[in-house]
Amino acid sequence: MDWRPIHRWLGLVAGTIALILGITGAVLAVDSVRDAWQSVPAAADLPVAALAQRVSATISGAEEIRRLPSGDIVVYAFDAGRAMASRVDPADGRVLGPYRPSGLSHWFKKLHRSFLLGDAGRLGAAAVALGMLLLSVSGLMLMLRRMGGWRRLADRMRGSLVQRLHAATGRAVLVVLLLSSATALYMSAATFDLVVLDAGSEPDVVSVQIAQAELPAGRLPLLQGLRVGDLRRLGFPSAADPEDTWKVTTAQGQGWVDRYSGQTLAWQDATAAQRIHDWAMLLHTGEGAWVWALVLGPAGASIPLFWVTGLILWRQGRLPRPRLADNSPSAQADVLIFVASETGSTWGFAQTLHDALVRSGHRVHTNSLEHFQVGTAARRVFLLAATYGEGQPPAHAARALERIARTPVTAAQVAVLGFGDRQYPAFCAFAEALDAALGAQGWSTLLPLTRIHQQSAQEFARWGQDLARALGEPLELAYRPRLPPTTELQLLSRQDYPGGADQPAVILRFGLPAQRWRDRLAGQGLARFVAGDLLGVLAPGSGAPRYYSLASGRRDGFVEICVRRLPGGVCSGFLHGLQPGDSIQAFVRPNPGFALDGERRPVVLIGAGTGVAPLVGFIRANARRTPMHLYFGARDPARDFYFGAELERWLGEKRLASLRTVFSRVANGGGYVQDALHRDAGRVRALLARGAAVRVCGSRPMAQGVARVLDDILGTLRLSVAQLKAKGRYAEDVF
Amino acid sequence: MSRPLMTTVAAACALALPAAAHSRPVTIATTLENYGGDGAYLAVYLTDAQGAYARTLWVAGGKAKYYTHLSGWNRLSSGDSKRLQGVTGASVGQGRTLRVTADLADALIDAGYEIRIDAAVEDMRDSPAEIRVPLSAANAGKPHAGRQYIQSFSFELQ
Repeated sequence: MDWRPIHRWLGLVAGTIALILGITGAVLAVDSVRDAWQSVPAAADLPVAALAQRVSATISGAEEIRRLPSGDIVVYAFDAGRAMASRVDPADGRVLGPYRPSGLSHWFKKLHRSFLLGDAGRLGAAAVALGMLLLSVSGLMLMLRRMGGWRRLADRMRGSLVQRLHAATGRAVLVVLLLSSATALYMSAATFDLVVLDAGSEPDVVSVQIAQAELPAGRLPLLQGLRVGDLRRLGFPSAADPEDTWKVTTAQGQGWVDRYSGQTLAWQDATAAQRIHDWAMLLHTGEGAWVWALVLGPAGASIPLFWVTGLILWRQGRLPRPRLADNSPSAQADVLIFVASETGSTWGFAQTLHDALVRSGHRVHTNSLEHFQVGTAARRVFLLAATYGEGQPPAHAARALERIARTPVTAAQVAVLGFGDRQYPAFCAFAEALDAALGAQGWSTLLPLTRIHQQSAQEFARWGQDLARALGEPLELAYRPRLPPTTELQLLSRQDYPGGADQPAVILRFGLPAQRWRDRLAGQGLARFVAGDLLGVLAPGSGAPRYYSLASGRRDGFVEICVRRLPGGVCSGFLHGLQPGDSIQAFVRPNPGFALDGERRPVVLIGAGTGVAPLVGFIRANARRTPMHLYFGARDPARDFYFGAELERWLGEKRLASLRTVFSRVANGGGYVQDALHRDAGRVRALLARGAAVRVCGSRPMAQGVARVLDDILGTLRLSVAQLKAKGRYAEDVF
Repeated sequence: MSRPLMTTVAAACALALPAAAHSRPVTIATTLENYGGDGAYLAVYLTDAQGAYARTLWVAGGKAKYYTHLSGWNRLSSGDSKRLQGVTGASVGQGRTLRVTADLADALIDAGYEIRIDAAVEDMRDSPAEIRVPLSAANAGKPHAGRQYIQSFSFELQ
């Protein structure tokens, strides 16, 4: 079942109206807390008889005692032609003052219950409650899919700030919203008599005058046995009607008592429906349970947050599927392209491939994967597949594997291209499943499965070169991602290193331009960035950005990156040519899985070469002196010990708890960084056992080597790198 | 400060009482106070000389689950299965006036019968004996104030 459209449309329609319910609900929860704090409640075991006796003594003409949900005792009286309502101290029956319920609270309550529109509004509010219930359920289903099942529900959230805000808030308040909407529906059903709360007709009972004198309230056996804590209301017998009786209503039921004999004339137990209603009322309003009201209030206030973030996510997800020029009919095409994409980003790559093949004279048919079908004219078939959450296919392609299994195999050659993010445990798992299924069916392979990390245009272009060779024809795949607006940054200073392997490196520090307040508010431009985020740099004349890990955050007041010059590298060459005063065009791309979350647990930082840059940024930002331990692998202290002086200084300042350096090209230098970890196994194990977070930055082989060593160390703790990754404790930034 | 007469209701009642040679219409006008709450539930009914329930003239307010708050009427009329037949309408907003017309047998007038009104408002106190006025020719046209919610009550005999 695809919950996404349900969640989206309910959110847009019911969610918008629920704004009113959420805000007013939060206000009413504050009322509940305030009422509870101001109340003067009775002792828990005070008998109702004692309370009635005290009230009779202090208030003449008392007609009814009510115990408000807050615990306050209110007495209604009619004395000398005047109707009075008083708050009473149950300890002695003393009048505390007149009882005047707040008109403003009443107005908010009406707005919450019926939008001030009477019964039509009540029906509308009930419909919105139903919408909220379905929103909560569909949200839970989507979250389970996103997180990869119940067991991972408590894991760390990934994704953009807006996604995390939406999902993490949902995870926190889901149960409360489910309860609130379910109880609202029950109470609405009672309001519209779909649920009958009372026990039927009242008993026909009268007091029988056997003596002149009435029994005082304190001597009525039924009232002696009832506790004020359970009391809802107690009706005094009317002075004008000698046959009238006492009538008491408690959580357990209602009873009628003869005013002369004190006999219990009748007792009706509260119906099950009434008891459920009482619980629904308590859970929905928090009246009389201020701790719960403190939970309800923020849950109500979270609805505007859901609405805003949901709206942003909806707009972001509404990326239009590209219009494909020259999309040949399926039966005539010699090239078929099938796309599986949750958010639409993979379609951009499909379009690039489609256009390039059309330019080379092919007849290309591109479609989404659920339409997988291979005609006799087709000679090549491409599958471009994104993976979602725990290896699931995008929703629209959920049945693609079954469809492929049913499709007759032809002579066409297939190639699968997977899109995903290495931060996730199941990187490109769906593409792997597709590739395996096609292989098992017996399709011949044009190119082996290729995995594209974080929509990398470079990796896509490399695959295009492989494809050109396989097809034996020229083909260039120049994917132009939609780039965020860039900011001009001016170089303040540069620090040059000879670098290892004859590749000089430079630390570039750029000034932070003044921010317009509007951008700062909207979080645009360079409004927010932390060490570990990525700086996208556009070299002049180049449409594809190169990304560099940031060694500084916004609070440092500058933008710092460490760039190794690659042979033939356009962007690294451009950056190496910069002199102080020169400018670049750049933007920030968040790298949320990698940045540290600010918890006070130890951190093990492992970096090699220029990969130390984001780790340096973490240490620089470590004003709280979280114990950070850096393992830094370089080649030669004289050539590529980047940030060496700063690291020494931070050691002294305790920003950095310990520093282990190894130099692979120096005699007795200690080898590679994974060798240092292996030697330090005991110490690293102790840190990991204490819950240390791990951040690794460097080349892919280095990261793989580190993961192997850490898996060995973690084995004795019955843990693995994969488990730590799933919890967000372990993250890599590899290049 | 009563608003214009908004609620005019005519209740044509079949006579529940035997041997009524003649009957005459009685018009009852009830104007509510501005008590600062939602619409009031009102039960207008007759009791006989012994205080026993005789007949329901009008019930304002549509939700049966609130009828327990009109406690006097609810208790006395519980044996009358037709108590709501043709005599219900919407609750009456504060400051507004409810007009009810009923055909009453001549024999009921000046015979110890009483017109009673029970009133209740959501989240406010119940007022089971808001009005108790003897159904006598002498009382006709005289305004009476209620205890809590009714600013003025009067009935006219025609």
